[in-house]
This record gives sequence, C-alpha cells and structure tokens, in this order.
Amino acid sequence: MPVSAISLESLTKFFPPARTGFRAFLQPFERPSLPALQNISFELRDAESIALLGANGAGKSTLLRILATLLLPTSGRATIAGHDAVSSPRAVRRSLGYHAGSDQGFYARLTARENLLFFGRLNRLSTSAARDRVSQFAAQFELAESLDRQVRTLSSGTIQRLSLARALLHSPRVLLLDEPTRSLDAIAAASFRHFLKSHVLRPGKTSLLFASHSLAEIELLADRVAVLQHGRLIALDTPAALQRQSSASTLEEAFFRLTGHPHESPAPELRS
Amino acid sequence: MISFLRELWLFFLRDLFIAKSYRSPFVMEVVQALFGTATFYYVARFVESPQLRQSLPQAGGYFAFALVGFVFLDYLNAALDTFDRSLEEARDSGTLEHLLVTQTSLPAILAGSALYPFVATTLRIAVYVVWGALFFGFPLHSANWFAVFLVLIVSLLAFSGLGIFSASYLLLFKRGNPAKWFLLGISSIVGGMLFPVSILPDWLQFIARLNPITYALDAMRASLLGSIHLRDILHPLAILLLFAAILLPLSMFAFAAALRRTKSTGTLAHR
Repeated sequence: MPVSAISLESLTKFFPPARTGFRAFLQPFERPSLPALQNISFELRDAESIALLGANGAGKSTLLRILATLLLPTSGRATIAGHDAVSSPRAVRRSLGYHAGSDQGFYARLTARENLLFFGRLNRLSTSAARDRVSQFAAQFELAESLDRQVRTLSSGTIQRLSLARALLHSPRVLLLDEPTRSLDAIAAASFRHFLKSHVLRPGKTSLLFASHSLAEIELLADRVAVLQHGRLIALDTPAALQRQSSASTLEEAFFRLTGHPHESPAPELRS
Repeated sequence: MISFLRELWLFFLRDLFIAKSYRSPFVMEVVQALFGTATFYYVARFVESPQLRQSLPQAGGYFAFALVGFVFLDYLNAALDTFDRSLEEARDSGTLEHLLVTQTSLPAILAGSALYPFVATTLRIAVYVVWGALFFGFPLHSANWFAVFLVLIVSLLAFSGLGIFSASYLLLFKRGNPAKWFLLGISSIVGGMLFPVSILPDWLQFIARLNPITYALDAMRASLLGSIHLRDILHPLAILLLFAAILLPLSMFAFAAALRRTKSTGTLAHR
C-alpha cells in the first residue's frame, strides 16, 4: 500500500497562556491550556495539493509548523512520507521543504547563491549537486540576475522565489508553504502562483500543503481545501464539492457559509 | 564523523563570508589590541618590583602574566557569549527555524555556529601576543607551541559546555543570562587573571579550583612562558578534559531539553 505524503491522526495542540510581570519567568513551565488544534485527521496523497483555509488563529500555521518539526503536538500523530514528526524528525526533514512566507530567514550579508549553497549542503547535497541545482533553479525561478547579489539588496518578491528555491533544492516529497504570497504585491503574487503551478505542481512529483488567505490562490493551486475554524477541521473537499455542499456559487461564499460568517461582511483578511 | 566535520566547515565558511562583508572591524580590532597591550605594559612597569616578580610562577614579569590572563579571559568570555549570540542572531534574522528544518543535527548547528567566533578569538589572542612580543618584550622564546595549541583546544571544549548551558537559558527565557555574568565576575576575581590565585584566602582558592579558567590559565602561562615539557601540564589538561567530559554532554542534554520545551510551548522564534 503506498504511504501517504502526509497523514494526520487526531492531531491536537495546546499552547500555554502568555504571562506577564514576574510570572513571565515561569512561562517556559506553564501548563498548555489554550487549544490551537483539536483532533485534526486527514491525508495528503502523493502529488496532491491541499490548501488550509481559515481566519487568523484558526490553526493553519500551527499545523504546518508541527509538520515542519518546529512544534511538538500535544497529542495525536503526524507522519510525513511514513515518518513520525515527533519520533523521527530528521527523517521527516529529509522529505519536506518548508517556506514560511516571510522575506526573512536568509543571511542578509551573503549572496543569494551563497545562501542557497549553504542550505542545500546542510540538506545533504554534495557540493557539485548543490551547484547544479542552484544553477538549474536560477534559470527556472528567474533568479539568475540576483544570484550574486547580497540578499539584503533583493526585493520581497525575489526573496520569496529564493525561499521557494531553498525549500525545493533537495527535491523533497512534500512542500509546506505558509502564506507564500503574504508579502507580495498583486502582480508578484500572481506570478508566484503561476510559477508554483507550472514548475512545482505540474511535474507531479511534489505534494503540497499550503496555508493561504487568498481564495484566488487556493482556486488555482488546491486539489482540495481543508477549512479550519478555532483549531477544528470543519470541512475537507474539492473547491467544487465545498460549493455544492453549502449551495454556494463561489468558494468565498462557501467558506462564509461553512464558518457561519455572514457573507456581506467578510473577515477583512479574506478579501482577496 | 566526516559529515559532521563537513557541516562544521560549512558553518565556518558562512561566518567567514559574513565577516568578510564587513571589512573595518578587523582592522579596528588589531589596532585596539595594540592599545590594550600598551596599557598592560605601562601598568606593569608602574607596579613591577623584585618582590612582585618573585611571587609570579613564570618568567616574563607582570606584563606577560597579566597579558596572558587578560586575553585568556577573553576566551572564556567568547565561549560563554558565542553560543547565545549565534542563537540570538539566528532567531532575530529568522534563520534559526530554517536551520532547524534542515537535515543537520543539533550538535552540528551548535558547534558549527561557535567555530568561527572561536577561531576569531584565537586570532585576537594571537594579535595581542604578537604586539606584546614586537613592541613590549613579551617573551616568546620559551613557548612550547604544541602545548599552547593543546591548551587552547582543551580549554575550548571545557568552556563550550558553559556556553551551551548559557544558550539553553537564552532559549527558554529569551533574554539575559545571570549565570554567565556571575561566572565571568567570579572568574575575573578567582581565575588568576591579574594576580596569582596563591595570594587569595583559602576559601577563595577553593572556589578557584572549581573553575576551569584557573586550570586553563595555569596551563597557558606555563606553555607560553614556562619553558615546559608537555608532561608538566598534564594535570591541568586532565582536569580541563574532565570538565569537558562532564559539561559538554550535560549542556547538550540541557539544550536539547530547552529546545524540546520551546517546541512544545511554541516560543522557539519568540524574542
């Protein structure tokens, strides 16, 4: 039986409450009591793309960060390519690429090439393989002119593409993207989405789990949409099926009906 | 092991390239070392007396004694500072999370991030000694360079454990580190930096013997100034190795536990 790209079984995450004043000193030892994810279960199949859709605080980033081994779940199980995110984090990291959607996370005084080579080699690529991949991606990701410039001189859009290139350098089986077009203008965002569609998804070798507030992005990239609300998975289906289920004419309308928001006054972050 | 060393080299190159992108600090540090060496020389001339010379364990007078003490305390300072400064920089620049999602092990990330600062500190120490030798008569003719090298490596291992403890504290509590400042304060009093430990009262000498800097300084002064054979410093080297054998695994355990805790509380990237 083929192993799912991602499998989640009753994944639950609680955070401790934030403390201030002298009690902040005991913050690291606070008992986790605030729910962020509750009993999330679903599977991401090979070469499939699932979008995580939900208002701020719905648990999208928390889920992605657990899968990226940056957070530990409170209970439940998450596996990537058959490896448990808690007990085999290094095996998990071999199979995933993670792009946090911000234009941070690079060494600003190093060039784009030096950054890519550094992270590529930390992901077990040989020097020559890393160089080859960087050259290949520079052409594919329209980074050739930026490759030998310090990252601090690059635009947000270029850094986003650089970050995606970093996530894909070691040919991971699963790609995790957290609001990948968050800091991009409309033109750069559209270009980034089409790039993702044609260069990452179309070859059919990479499974994608991504969080987004942009419905245009979700409609273009996602095979299925997981709707999260207050840390719970309230729906998971194709965009067309979600619209059918909620008798909605658009995905936006379907989202508002599923989450109980009045459609006339959408949450500001969901206006796309 | 080869893969571990390869990763260390990658981190070293990363920090070297970053340092190269800022050119002036290196020149300024070299000049600053000259001023520092000159200050010690003139203070030594001011306080030097036959009685003082007699109370020092090695040749070279008070200037050589104090200069080695001062620059070697810098080594302890670097060890205590390097790990948490690297961690703080990585956290603030957003690279920490991206390092942690690579396939590199935690020990490689920690050791790799400390490698360049240690090499840079070693070079800074060398610059002080070179200025001392060139202009102020610091005696290098009696140095046993192999012993100097060994003392540096073993001290680095012993001090690193303290530095990793310090980084674990930073990971959990985000700011400051009272243990670091306490240790540096204690070391400057009882470590034998500017005066021999033998002049301290018994109870302070006892505290001095619990501090790795005391053994590191003894061994370094003997290696640089004492015309010694390697066997003459086996005792302080063995004690430093013992410190390293206890502190390194314990500190790695503490760091892994602190990392696990921050991954559990979701505060890994918090400042």
